[in-house]
Amino acid sequence: MSSVEYCGLSKSFGTVEVIRKLSLSVAEGEFAVLLGASGCGKTTLLRMTAGLETISEGDLLIGGRRMNDLHPRDRNIAMVFQNYALYPTMKVFDNIAFSLQINKMSPDAVRQRVEDAASILNLTEFLDRYPRELSGGQRQRVAMGRAMVRDAQLFLFDEPLSNLDAKLRAHMRVEIRQLHSRLGTTTIYVTHDQVEAMTMADKIVLMNAGRIEQVGVPDDLFDSPRTRFVADFIGTPSMNFVDGAIERDSGSLYFVAPGLRIPLAEQIAVNAAVTAGLRPTDLMIEDNGPLTGRVRLSEKTGADINLHIESECGAIIATVSRETQVGQGDTLRLGINPKKLHLFDHTRGLSLRNTRVA
Amino acid sequence: MIVESQARRMTRTLAAYMVVALFVFPLYFWATTAFKNAKDIFNTPPTVWVFEPTLRNFEEVFGISLGFFRQQEVLPGGGNFFMAPRLWDSIVVALGSTLLSVIVATLAGYSLSRMDFRFRHLFVGWVLSTRMMPPVAVAIPMFFIYKDIGLLDTYTGIILIHAVMNLPLAVLLLKSFFDDIPRDIDECAMIDGASRWIIFRRIVLPMARGGVAATAVLCFIFSWTEFIFVLTLTQTGLKTVPVVSSSFVTSTGTAWGNMAALGVAATAPAFLFILLVQKQLVRGLTLGSLKE
Repeated sequence: MSSVEYCGLSKSFGTVEVIRKLSLSVAEGEFAVLLGASGCGKTTLLRMTAGLETISEGDLLIGGRRMNDLHPRDRNIAMVFQNYALYPTMKVFDNIAFSLQINKMSPDAVRQRVEDAASILNLTEFLDRYPRELSGGQRQRVAMGRAMVRDAQLFLFDEPLSNLDAKLRAHMRVEIRQLHSRLGTTTIYVTHDQVEAMTMADKIVLMNAGRIEQVGVPDDLFDSPRTRFVADFIGTPSMNFVDGAIERDSGSLYFVAPGLRIPLAEQIAVNAAVTAGLRPTDLMIEDNGPLTGRVRLSEKTGADINLHIESECGAIIATVSRETQVGQGDTLRLGINPKKLHLFDHTRGLSLRNTRVA
Repeated sequence: MIVESQARRMTRTLAAYMVVALFVFPLYFWATTAFKNAKDIFNTPPTVWVFEPTLRNFEEVFGISLGFFRQQEVLPGGGNFFMAPRLWDSIVVALGSTLLSVIVATLAGYSLSRMDFRFRHLFVGWVLSTRMMPPVAVAIPMFFIYKDIGLLDTYTGIILIHAVMNLPLAVLLLKSFFDDIPRDIDECAMIDGASRWIIFRRIVLPMARGGVAATAVLCFIFSWTEFIFVLTLTQTGLKTVPVVSSSFVTSTGTAWGNMAALGVAATAPAFLFILLVQKQLVRGLTLGSLKE
């Protein structure tokens, strides 16, 4: 296993710049998740790491060695593709053994390795089958087995779970994580699913339009989003945003918006144009809360209820416990813990709070 | 099956049978002509269903006596055509040119589908443009070229020209089959440490089997039925079936029965070839149509 270092990496397709001067380091044995919406450049970054795309500018170091001009087959990297890319004309055994066979490993050693990997992944009884005879989850495991048998210095995963149904996805998340703790190989995992990122990552790299928005441990991104984009991206349902201003009144600071006035818990410069972010889970029903609204829709998720509320400062979602007795059309008041308020610069979207450093 | 009224379905089925009959009847008439005596062939109104079957046409065409099937062992008159060697010529030429064009076209098609090189997109247009030249315009210059380099009247010459004529279409066809195979598979194998050649031979080619079979059938049929090049580029060394079948049209009349017999005999090898690759062919036509 090896560390990975991106130094001022850029990638352009013609005149379109997909990745701009990106710098990032992934430590040895770390499980890093590249998170972002479609088209943010995360897959391109992964493909550049694998050597499937050329690097327009900057350096890529794996294990301290510059890799920019090395052919994929010489990088000693294992990759799991979104569609698994299994070889359909080969049986599972040969699929897993392929990389070892072409590297002229002795048949006994190949058999040994493949069987070891198969037993870890519960594939032993499927070794004689063709990929088309397997279910989605089994194919996924074959793809992982193919990566496992090699002594690769780096694992790359390109949205490996996006073709599975929800239940299987949750199961495979755990399996991949367990595999990582067992092998300890440095892993870079690309996904657009924030739940995958939050549950699996040692480190999340949230990307937007070819740049890194924020790097940190999952809690960091959730509790102290550095930009409005991060705040919006992480968390389901998404954070509520209310445009307003910070005002000073008899020595105390307040966030003020139409129909809303919240005292602030920390010292922030007075600012005429800010956006406040409120997590749906941080809003609670309070008889004398500062925000009044009417319930437009109540959505039961099983564990709790998402209330879609029409308030004076716009549409807001609040997540409340399932015992709450609220119906459609009811008017209610919401309370907010000032400590849970996120404030962002209105124009640039940067957090006004001192971000905690991980 | 989608629901529809009984009457509608009946009409549709009837129409389908009629169209099939329209196409099948000439084949039936041709095939039965091969087994008819001259008086049945020239009868007015024509005998379609009831006639006395004979193997005489085949005996005359191939210069052999099928006495095993018949009492009369000696053919009346002289004139046998000795067509068996011509059938052999056809088989050699068709198999040879098919093999050559499929080998070259798979390599070319894969390269065009997967590799990046300068003028690659122009290459496809160029390949197609060679198809725009009518064979008859090429045949006469080819005659002089072949005469000078000594390929006239040889198997090699005919195999080469048929392969060359087939290549553009075969390359394009195979390229599209290779295009259908996800690039991820190549990339995955590349990361696994495989070279281009290993990827091609062990992974991509087996996946494109159906496409290769479909292409082979097309090449085979082209070569099997090609007329103008064989006519101009051969003299006595070899002649394929389409060319020699015209020799049944003589100054004293057309030997329809013999011509039909040769035609029936000539369909057999082509039929056999297609039967052999048919299993792959069906796979080729359905590959990729369903989510794997």
